[in-house]
Amino acid sequence: MRGAQLKAWLFMAPLVAVNLLVIAGPGLMSVYYSFTDWDGLNSPGLVGFANYTALFGDADFLRALLHNLLWTAFFLVVPMSLGLLGAFLLTRIKRFQLVFRVLYFVPYVIATVVSATIWRQILSPTSGIGPALSDLGIPWLKDVNFLGDGDIALGTVAFVNNWQWWGFLVVIFLASMQSIEPSLYEAARMDGANTWREFWHITLPAIRPTFMFLSLMTVIWSFLVFDYIYILTQGGPAGSTDVLSTVMYRMAFEQQQAGYASAIGVILALISAATVGGYLYLRRRLKWEM
Amino acid sequence: MPSPMSRRSLIKLGGGLLTAGTLAACGSGSSSGSGTVTYWAAFTGSDVERYFKKNFIDRFNKSTKSVQVRMDVKQLQTLGKLTDTAVAAGRGPDVVYSDGPSSALSFAKSSNTVPLDSYAKKYGWQDKFLPWAWEASKVDGKLYSVPVGYGSVVLYYSPAVFKKNGWAVPKSLAEFEDICTAAKAKGMIPVGAGNSGYTAQSEWYLTAFLNAAAGPQALYEALTGKRPWDDKVFVDAITLYKQQIDKGWWGGAPDRYFTNTDTDMFTGLAQGKVAMYITGTWSFASADSFFTGDQKWEWAPLPSLSDTVKPGVFPLAIGTALSVNARAKNPAGAAEFIDSMIADPQDMLDYLAATGTNPAPLKFDQSAYPPSTDDRVARLYQTIQQSTNLGYASWCFMPPKSDTYLYTEFDKVITGSMKPAEFCKGLQKTFADELAAGSVPSPFEPTS
Repeated sequence: MRGAQLKAWLFMAPLVAVNLLVIAGPGLMSVYYSFTDWDGLNSPGLVGFANYTALFGDADFLRALLHNLLWTAFFLVVPMSLGLLGAFLLTRIKRFQLVFRVLYFVPYVIATVVSATIWRQILSPTSGIGPALSDLGIPWLKDVNFLGDGDIALGTVAFVNNWQWWGFLVVIFLASMQSIEPSLYEAARMDGANTWREFWHITLPAIRPTFMFLSLMTVIWSFLVFDYIYILTQGGPAGSTDVLSTVMYRMAFEQQQAGYASAIGVILALISAATVGGYLYLRRRLKWEM
Repeated sequence: MPSPMSRRSLIKLGGGLLTAGTLAACGSGSSSGSGTVTYWAAFTGSDVERYFKKNFIDRFNKSTKSVQVRMDVKQLQTLGKLTDTAVAAGRGPDVVYSDGPSSALSFAKSSNTVPLDSYAKKYGWQDKFLPWAWEASKVDGKLYSVPVGYGSVVLYYSPAVFKKNGWAVPKSLAEFEDICTAAKAKGMIPVGAGNSGYTAQSEWYLTAFLNAAAGPQALYEALTGKRPWDDKVFVDAITLYKQQIDKGWWGGAPDRYFTNTDTDMFTGLAQGKVAMYITGTWSFASADSFFTGDQKWEWAPLPSLSDTVKPGVFPLAIGTALSVNARAKNPAGAAEFIDSMIADPQDMLDYLAATGTNPAPLKFDQSAYPPSTDDRVARLYQTIQQSTNLGYASWCFMPPKSDTYLYTEFDKVITGSMKPAEFCKGLQKTFADELAAGSVPSPFEPTS
């Protein structure tokens, strides 16, 4: 038994070493830098909690945090609902199911930079879908500047990100739904259950572990979102699409405030840790099945 | 949602800066063997890269046996950040690129680059450079960088479009406003502007506006700490700019500003949809690609946008400067390579003629421009050399944090979430800290 454990540890050792090098080391350095005034070039000087206290008086940071929360709420509701609905409907069809699965999944395998660039063209107020529809006699979107209007830019970027993401959820939920015992549905139908009741009382409880895991990852990923926002708007106009990661990037690499950026990084890590902690608490202490 | 890969990327970012360590490990570094000098460069195109390699790198390597330069070509958009990160990690190439004196000053202040005064004396650099560029390259009285590319900000226009509309190149605020009003009425974008894809584009327009509306004298006083940035002259300039943006003169409309790109504006200029475009002379190298057939672009000096500023100001900018890494094993070799680029001003003029690349700010003989040089390009550098109306580009003369403040916070002025006075007050606060820290490049004294 000890030999088997040793072998297991030997197999895991390289990965553990890489993670220590790539995550733990820099992570600890980040915690240290978050207590300094490091500008990225000169030697850092300790400033205590000054970066953290400054963060909570920084309107840009607070607005970015609010955007992360809105983003999380959007992705916990819209793509999760679409994913569940899409997967459930796909379990009901036999013909062309594979075609739909592929169609839903294709956006997910397109490189983010490629799909974001295409979407930027589509949403362009001078050469995108608005002017094109206007040329066809449909003027509704002609004067809508999806990425230039601060009131709708964040929602637009979330829409584009959702376009790529929800098909992935369909495939994952479908795989989980296909493992449900068919006799459960047959028994429910014999008892007179309609489709909605089948979904609510059989499908949803059966896939709860998958659902909870994806919800957890959605929260974590929502706080780490960067790529689509950076490519489409770089956080603009005037911070209306800023999230914590874009503010952190700007502070570290444009404003020479690496210490301040590290404090944002630590806050992000704490949010992720709290999310995972909550998940573990529900599973271990409250014995939730997930 | 981000993919797992992007999550890892973000952990890298959040890890502060862990990128520094990663790049340090991957970079070619300054651990060159004796006689080898490493140099990171970036070019606007493969033909420019070929020309530079053949005429600067290969020729240098053939001419000397003791020093060999090894050039690594990077992406133009990322060279600055790559260099910053690698140098911060104590690595980077022997010959350090920076996009102007402001960045070079940061390297010098952190002791990542070395003073070049002994090499300057040995090679007689001071006599070769235009005085303003020489002064701007000094930190605390010592030379830390050598400028190898400079330019200005000018007004681009299509002579055919101007002729068709009966417009003359504007020289005053009234003339500028007349053209903007007329162009807007015709459904054109009066002045091209936008920062989509590159937020720092805003500083091109701000540089133009501050020089043309506040003037070089006020800017000089502000850059030397004698006049605060929240002085009325700057608040008035920013207020005027904001009013013009609200009228849809810059970029077509305030919201369009955030989705317009540099390419969009040049394309519009060529198609007659944009009346004027104010941007840097680095676009001389690419402007022709937008104008097909008999269409031509032309440039003019900036108009005056205030009664107190003379028309025709040329904001000066060093766009490329080279320093020697403090960890270079062969600093003398690195300096020798830098000298080879500027030793003969004719080499720079040939480079300018062949590729349109902005030359080093050297004292060129007015008749030395090769016949193949585009007349518009030669005229710019001849005019600047004779002009006494010289101004200051923000990315060259503003310290790093103030410069970043300028183009990131100005977005808020455009959307209306920040008043011009608040913007100027914030700029003054940021600038004052950097001035106290000695992080402001030395501006030349106004000559007009």
